[in-house]
Amino acid sequence: MSYVIANQLTRHYDLSDPWIIRQINRRPKNILTAVNHVSFSIEKGEAYALVGESGSGKSTIAKMVSGLLKPSAGSIHIDGHDLNGPILDGKATHNMRQRIQMVFQSPYASLNPRWKIGNIILEPIKSFRLIADEKQQHKRVAELLDQVGLSERDVSKYPHEFSGGQRQRISIARALASQPEIIICDEPTSALDVSVQAQVLNLLKDLQKEFSLTYLFISHDLAVISTMANKIGVLKDGKLVEEADSAELFANPKHEYTKMLLSAAPNIGVYVHSERKS
Amino acid sequence: MANPLLEIDQLSVSLKKRKQTLKAVDNLSLKIYSGEILGLVGESGAGKSMTGSAILGLIDPPLFISSGKIIFEGERIDQNTKNIRGSKISMIFQDPLVSLNPLRRIGDQLVETIITHFDVSKTQAFERAKSLLEEVGIDPSRINAYPHTFSGGMRQRVVIALALAPEPALIIADEPTTALDVSVQAQILDLLKKLAKERGTAIILITHDMGVIAETTDRVAVLYSGRLAEIGKTADVLKDPKHPYTKGLVASTPRIDANSLLEKLFQIPGAMPDLDNIPEGCPFHPRCDFADAQCRKEQPPLFQNRSACWLSKD
Amino acid sequence: MISFAVFTCIILAAVFANIIAPYNPFDPASLNLMNGFTPPMQANDFTGEVFLMGTDDQGRDLFSTILYGLRISLFVGVMAVALAMVLGVLLGLIAGFFGGWFDVLIMRFADIQMTFPSILVAMLIYGVAKGVLPPDLRYEMSITVLIISIGLSEWVPFARTVRGSTLVEKEKEYIIAAKMIGLNKWQIMIRHILPNVLSPVLVIATITFALAIIAEATLSFLGVGVPTTKPSLGTLIRIGQDFLFSGEWWILLFPAITLLALALSINLFGDWLRDTLNPKLK
Repeated sequence: MSYVIANQLTRHYDLSDPWIIRQINRRPKNILTAVNHVSFSIEKGEAYALVGESGSGKSTIAKMVSGLLKPSAGSIHIDGHDLNGPILDGKATHNMRQRIQMVFQSPYASLNPRWKIGNIILEPIKSFRLIADEKQQHKRVAELLDQVGLSERDVSKYPHEFSGGQRQRISIARALASQPEIIICDEPTSALDVSVQAQVLNLLKDLQKEFSLTYLFISHDLAVISTMANKIGVLKDGKLVEEADSAELFANPKHEYTKMLLSAAPNIGVYVHSERKS
Repeated sequence: MANPLLEIDQLSVSLKKRKQTLKAVDNLSLKIYSGEILGLVGESGAGKSMTGSAILGLIDPPLFISSGKIIFEGERIDQNTKNIRGSKISMIFQDPLVSLNPLRRIGDQLVETIITHFDVSKTQAFERAKSLLEEVGIDPSRINAYPHTFSGGMRQRVVIALALAPEPALIIADEPTTALDVSVQAQILDLLKKLAKERGTAIILITHDMGVIAETTDRVAVLYSGRLAEIGKTADVLKDPKHPYTKGLVASTPRIDANSLLEKLFQIPGAMPDLDNIPEGCPFHPRCDFADAQCRKEQPPLFQNRSACWLSKD
Repeated sequence: MISFAVFTCIILAAVFANIIAPYNPFDPASLNLMNGFTPPMQANDFTGEVFLMGTDDQGRDLFSTILYGLRISLFVGVMAVALAMVLGVLLGLIAGFFGGWFDVLIMRFADIQMTFPSILVAMLIYGVAKGVLPPDLRYEMSITVLIISIGLSEWVPFARTVRGSTLVEKEKEYIIAAKMIGLNKWQIMIRHILPNVLSPVLVIATITFALAIIAEATLSFLGVGVPTTKPSLGTLIRIGQDFLFSGEWWILLFPAITLLALALSINLFGDWLRDTLNPKLK
């Protein structure tokens, strides 16, 4: 069975006017369907990408997969467990949280500006009670910083002392701190410069290999996705219009929308090609 | 070659910070010709937006133009830009949401601009406004609509129409498509290409996106730490970059390429230095695989009108 | 900076009142009615004693009384602000973070309270409290009741500001990260949101401090504040007001000037604080 199964995920938002106003103006209810019966599955160790423009529902799906938002219909199963199933045991939910972590788009809003980064990275370790001994905790934080290319000396610094790329590394270190199995990357490099983006994407790839992580990668940028994902799902207005292995998707796009996205994407590939592998 | 429309001659924009004079733009020289789209590419802090602002005289204290000249249509404009700003040179910014006055109809904003620059009646201005809207791909019957009724891409088109209203010879577009969706982005870039071709307007396209450069520009100037690293025809610079920074930048840009799916990207080690930390000699040398003693000591000039690198000397 | 100097002087004077003051005005035994109405720096007709600022109607040395009265004013001010701050920040956090009915109830209550002048609110709470307390406790608890009533009348600005900042911070991704780490709502509210919404609170606190002092003076002036045996600046002003036009001007003037200096220096200090904190925010 696939590791992450999203089945007929649906999410409605009720944007209707209050009942009284609707009666007076004789207006119908206004329901926005942000996500419309989307199903996909991710194998363990795989990197699955959801690509779409604004309003496609990709961020809403990310929130549902992470467990932060309840679907209006449909379900999410992680390793066989229903994320939104009856809560038999508060502890089970807490443990479920440990297995899924997230890296966010904004390097500025994703770290608490008043906390030292050592504490930011330590927090999940404490919350999930992964290490009890204080000395071991410090060791672990240093180890995590090292894994993302920062140094132990940075523990007592504040987020504003770091650049955007470094802050994303700290976010990644925090995500790794819970020893998760799945990381949802929500446009993690959209706010970064090209050379920094390359560093962060490479880091994510290395970490995936080293820790056998499963990624759900969300982006609007097909070029970035082409370097990160095995399988791609194309979202339009809340619906999954096409899904394929990445090689297949780029070589033989089937849906009109996918074709449009591919042709519209500004692509340095018009001039720059890699050598064909024999 | 025809005379350049705009020439930037050894321009430096500086900042005084605690007894140090820091350079945001350092000794930059560029030429741009009518009808061409010149890309100004670089990462955050490279000085590209600063250059655009300098051309329009929009540099505010504590920044100031410390040396160099900007010559437009044969006349020096860096001392006194007020008369050409908005008329012969206009600008398009990144965020269409805040570029338009939400309280005024788009027709009114267009008409006002036209009347300011040309001696025409209101009716004539109105007609011109309508044809401008048509030119940028907006239904002219929407001339009396308010900005909030348009989507992001349409709003950017309105902004472009406003920029075209004074019939400028040069448009500076600062990251005009960064805030837009991919499909809309392509449309706006196509529109810019059409304008350059049909009207002969020169466009300076400022961006950090190499893909946009590849698809839209005729020539490209690569900036690093306020200095020009490489300049040339876009096809040449991207296919065969001479400066190590350009090479690195091109190699680390993700691309849709069947032969390199899922492969790790090339990464340039380190990061662009802060303004107060720019090293001696070539600013790129700490990150450069090919740096030698001369690179560390002396700033390279532009060789063969192409690359500011000691290795390009021959 | 002059305001800071003045402010510090006044604080110090109040703190060391019992050392500086030549007399203890609260000790009824030391009072000599015959000393009453002595003008400043003039020898009393009957006893020959000289008082720096003169005496009031009961023979209390005005200088000492002002010093001791300052103590009460400052104490009430500080405690009332502390109460308002804790209550306001907490309610603002809850309203902003939990939203929904909590937000509606708290904010509407705040709106209703703000339609009344805070002095009236303070008087109302004071009256109710006094009515509720058994008569023997009324005297002892006056100061406490005063603090509670002024504190409860000033919580709204704190709550509104904190609520606004909370609404902004709540949407930021580090809060989502905290949820993903499994923290419960209270932990997120106190550990993550609170430190980021506190900066405007300090400025509001200094302004509220000045307001609280004036509130206390007003209540005492109206006779519903501190008991008359322990006069505060407000009480003295009330007393002085009666005698102003019969020639004993000093009983009104000196306390009034002190009150003015205190409130003004606090306000100026608050302004300065706001300006220095601002560039940091940029």
